Amino acid sequence: MKAIKSIDDLKTLTDEIKVKSIEDKKKVQICIAMATCSIASGSGKIFEYFKEEMPKQPVEFIIRSTGCLGLCHSEPTVEVTLPDSDPVVFGSVDVKMARSIIDDFIKNGKTIDGVIEGN
Amino acid sequence: MKSKQIKIALRNCGHIDPEDIADYISKDGYAALGKCLTGSREAVIETMKKSGLRGRGGGGFPTGKKWELAAAVPGEKKYVICNADEGDPGAFMDRSVLEGDPHSVLEAMAVCGYAIGADEGYIYIRAEYPLAIKRLKIAMAQAREAGLLGKNILGTGFNFDIGLKYGAGAFVCGEETALIKSMEGNRGEPVMKPPYPAQKGYMGKPTNVNNVETFANIPAIINNGADWFASIGTEGSKGTKVFALAGKVKNVGLVEVPMGTTLRELIYEIGGGILNDKQFKAAQTGGPSGGCLTEKHLDTPIDYESLKQAGSMMGSGGLIVMDEDDCMVAVAQFYLDFTVEESCGKCVPCREGNKVLYQLLNKITHGKGEVEDLKKLKNFSEIIKSASLCGLGQTSPNPVLSTLDNFYDEYYEHVTEKKCRSKNCRALIKYIIIPEKCVGCGACKRACPAEAISGEVKKIHLIDQEKCIKCGACYQKCKFNSIIIE
Repeated sequence: MKAIKSIDDLKTLTDEIKVKSIEDKKKVQICIAMATCSIASGSGKIFEYFKEEMPKQPVEFIIRSTGCLGLCHSEPTVEVTLPDSDPVVFGSVDVKMARSIIDDFIKNGKTIDGVIEGN
Repeated sequence: MKSKQIKIALRNCGHIDPEDIADYISKDGYAALGKCLTGSREAVIETMKKSGLRGRGGGGFPTGKKWELAAAVPGEKKYVICNADEGDPGAFMDRSVLEGDPHSVLEAMAVCGYAIGADEGYIYIRAEYPLAIKRLKIAMAQAREAGLLGKNILGTGFNFDIGLKYGAGAFVCGEETALIKSMEGNRGEPVMKPPYPAQKGYMGKPTNVNNVETFANIPAIINNGADWFASIGTEGSKGTKVFALAGKVKNVGLVEVPMGTTLRELIYEIGGGILNDKQFKAAQTGGPSGGCLTEKHLDTPIDYESLKQAGSMMGSGGLIVMDEDDCMVAVAQFYLDFTVEESCGKCVPCREGNKVLYQLLNKITHGKGEVEDLKKLKNFSEIIKSASLCGLGQTSPNPVLSTLDNFYDEYYEHVTEKKCRSKNCRALIKYIIIPEKCVGCGACKRACPAEAISGEVKKIHLIDQEKCIKCGACYQKCKFNSIIIE
């Protein structure tokens, strides 16, 4: 990132990034928790899986490796936000469930098991 | 289910990429720093004081007041230290913040530097947190590249940079004077206060030490205003607190709730209740320095004062839930074991006193205790509390005092009847095979590592109590519930 020289520059940059993140809302956004606890429960594999499988899908997407949501009881967790929708958090995600998240939820908008309510 | 939560310190955790500064900036990152740099130092401190934010590391000292003290001390060179030496068993909120949102801590440290007149900051972090360290390093490099750390930040002439210092995992180094000693390359031992670090801290210079969670709250306070923050929480404790729910609760994890939330809401609504729907017995807050809350405290709004009143303390926010299977004497013994290990040994009451407490508890859990020992426990506890040098010794008897207070019956049973009602203390229990129920399958005999079980196939088996090591292997193996614990 270029050096930010003044407070006005920071404001301009923030606005630019915010405009971009509004545009990003048209894409499928996938946040995979990658804190120590998540990695210990196997989120690394899930992250790789999404990174490998998502480019094969006919949708625009963003994958983020994030910190954790504090849901230790359900790691690994994956938060998926479909275009113009509220985020949905899936818990205890394994490869099989990741497949179902892509095929059923992301591509067809079907509800699937494993959603953690009320986040 | 989790709607009772309000996330301030954890606002970005799980929502942004901690290794991408642009993600943080998209959430108004560094806007608080920009806002502060356009105003006066006094205004920043005033905002902090008005917000009512108190130290989240356990002590609960008002943050604004702390900054004001450090700012008032004259000196060209001052330091800001972030205490990331998270050591309570079962607490991991600081790690989560550093792994999920490192920039918020860096930004808040710069704000603090501006407010007190410091140009250098350090994060004292335990070496056991490699991922947090890695993400902090990336965040620091990105912030420097973006001109948000270093010389002439945002063209305002303010200089501030941050370094890392690693701790080797000593619990006592969470105490600020011991932490500073450790940073200076000395043994991590506390020193008498005053002088406070604000007057004479790191390298003898005025120093302000705050905890990770405290810092993580600060950008949000500056951006949303002191009144917003002060509107959340209770009379004396503003804002939210992150708790690490652990132990016998269904949904273990990190939760952030407004101050004043009750234990019942935390355990039953957010935590989903007790594991296997057993009976709630107690919750330990404040780790080895705290005490336990019992059923009668379930509806008490939790804040700094109410916890103190209940004989516990906020601590860093570890909340360990215990059920009917947990023996409270053994719990006290567990914490004392920890304190004995972690006492730095500098002062006698803590070094020797805690050892005595541990030995007394050990005697009781081994069925050798006497009624007299209960009095001794109380006496020693009070001496240690009043005569120890630092916070570690002054609070280490709390688990003993609080369990004695709330569960005296259990202690009494241990010493008089030599009975552990939770069937937890091995020396006080017996595994017995009920002859009527035993089918003679031999599963227990095969499972026994001590060869204490005898009996022929299809005949009744018997446990030799002399040989039994009470490991419980037979109990777990028996499919016919023929083995009971007495």
